[in-house]
Amino acid sequence: MNEGHVISEEELDHLVELFHRQGPVMGVKERKDQPGHYLFDWLNTPEEFVAQYVTTTIPPKKAFFPPNETLFTFDSGDPPKLTNQLPRQENFVLMGVHPCDLAAIDALDAAYTQPPGEVRWPSLRDRSLIVGMDCMPDEYCFCSSVETLDARTSCDMFLTRIGRGYLLEVHTQKGERFLEDITLSPVEEPDLEEARKWRAKKAEAMTAAFDVPVEAFREILKRGGLTEVWRQVAERCYSCGSCNTTCPTCFCFDIVDDFDAGLQSGVRRRTWDSCQLLDFALVAGGHNFREERWQRVRHRWHRKFLYLYEQFGRPYCTGCGRCSRACTADINIVDVTNRLVAFSKSSHE
Amino acid sequence: MTAIDSVTDTEVFMQLEMAGGHELGHQPGQFIQLSRLGFGEAPFSVCSSPTRPDRFDLCIREVGNLTGAVHRLAVGDWVGVRGPFGKGFPVEKLKGRDVLAIAGGLGIVPLRSLIGYITDRRNACERFVLIYGTKSPSLILFGDEMAGWEKAGLETTVTVDEPDERWQGRTGVITEPLKETDIDPSNAVAILVGPPVMFRFAIAECLNKGLSEDAIFVSLERNFQCGIGKCGHCQINDLYVCQRGPVFCLTELQSRTEAVETWAPGKDQD
Repeated sequence: MNEGHVISEEELDHLVELFHRQGPVMGVKERKDQPGHYLFDWLNTPEEFVAQYVTTTIPPKKAFFPPNETLFTFDSGDPPKLTNQLPRQENFVLMGVHPCDLAAIDALDAAYTQPPGEVRWPSLRDRSLIVGMDCMPDEYCFCSSVETLDARTSCDMFLTRIGRGYLLEVHTQKGERFLEDITLSPVEEPDLEEARKWRAKKAEAMTAAFDVPVEAFREILKRGGLTEVWRQVAERCYSCGSCNTTCPTCFCFDIVDDFDAGLQSGVRRRTWDSCQLLDFALVAGGHNFREERWQRVRHRWHRKFLYLYEQFGRPYCTGCGRCSRACTADINIVDVTNRLVAFSKSSHE
Repeated sequence: MTAIDSVTDTEVFMQLEMAGGHELGHQPGQFIQLSRLGFGEAPFSVCSSPTRPDRFDLCIREVGNLTGAVHRLAVGDWVGVRGPFGKGFPVEKLKGRDVLAIAGGLGIVPLRSLIGYITDRRNACERFVLIYGTKSPSLILFGDEMAGWEKAGLETTVTVDEPDERWQGRTGVITEPLKETDIDPSNAVAILVGPPVMFRFAIAECLNKGLSEDAIFVSLERNFQCGIGKCGHCQINDLYVCQRGPVFCLTELQSRTEAVETWAPGKDQD
């Protein structure tokens, strides 16, 4: 597919209005309490949508995997009664997703649908239309190191800023259908040239980078012998779990019950969890299989760049840099990765 | 719930029947997720054999909120069950072989599903040698069933760490009776269920007896939340225990570092 159009800024506003008339739209908004910071949230009005933004604090995976969701409500009678709380049943639009986050949604499609599959993620994905948006990096971004600079997977349409509006790529028939009432102009060579320039400028502006290709880094982790570096990183880490909470590809969760005040009825809910927390791998007998902080730090890197990489054929890091921005101890994923690379080189020389 | 009994100061034994006359359809060594609504859900090994499919048994130690709530249940109460999950004991590999089953503490609970299977299908293996160790005589589980096990041809040894004045059996760690057991290593399969410290010493002793790594199986305890390889809690390095375990062949664990605390003492843990 990938047939191109040019859409003006005014018509893009119309498109968002159209989406908003037809159903809920989760889009990028500026935080009222923190100007200059952005979040994915349900739009109250189409005008709230911000097209050009620097990466949000929380990734858009929350459209399909909310941080806290009720699975069912219960009433403990005889017999007890369970009422399944289905995920959102109406179609919705997710608007303004950067390439790193598109790649992450695709990665979670793979993880959650691998048999035996999880059911809530795919049911929400089936109801969604995703509009991607190209971006400019800040000093934390490193998508060119994990091959997601030009990711288009999982999106139905994709927008790149050009002089006379946006270059609009259409990637699915589902996306095509929404464009019937929108005025579009045909793409001309200068438009494509501008989009190419945007991407070149983006690649050039990327200051953070891994020192080796990501496949080579996987082999370095596999070879091991890096305990010294893990321990150094762990000395600074507070095990707060901010890295997991802000990661677009982390998908671990916890399941808990809550009683209502009457202790008769209540809910079972699922919440995001973090492998960096001390009790994540604790079992009933009191044994903790990753009790040492450095083991948990290593586990996160290994999941991103070794275990899931081998299981699904791609790294489970998309270069968004959110973990580095959010880290309460200023641990930077690119710095640590390059330190591991350097340590491995020096110890195998 | 069709039966519930306190069998020690800390453990209850319970029998469950599925609503609508369904069968659980488990394999020996598999686990289920048991819920008591409002208190949560946690994994427990099924401790009865699938050869008795009408009902199934659990044996649960009180350690926290959920297990405390389970201890307060009575006959006729409802609990939630999901499962069975995971890969159980390698019953297909036992035919014609001598089985050396080693249980430490609560490890006897999952093993009882295999013991029941063997006593019901005596041709499922050749010899079945059970070595069971607990801290004290008061913690012995299924003591009243052992005479029946022996009658069915199982060779059982029980040892305790701290005997009381009435204890007439063996005293000491599990590796002692294991050392004395005469078994043909070329035809034996060892199955170990217990705490990490037991694995370390009992596995070394099995290897010492000449058993090969592919004839040693261990059942591991993890904090499973989902049972479908997604929630991440049960991971041993790259392995989801709820999918590939809880019963593992030793060969699957040798290169991994998070299976049993200090799996390879002295080795760089990375």
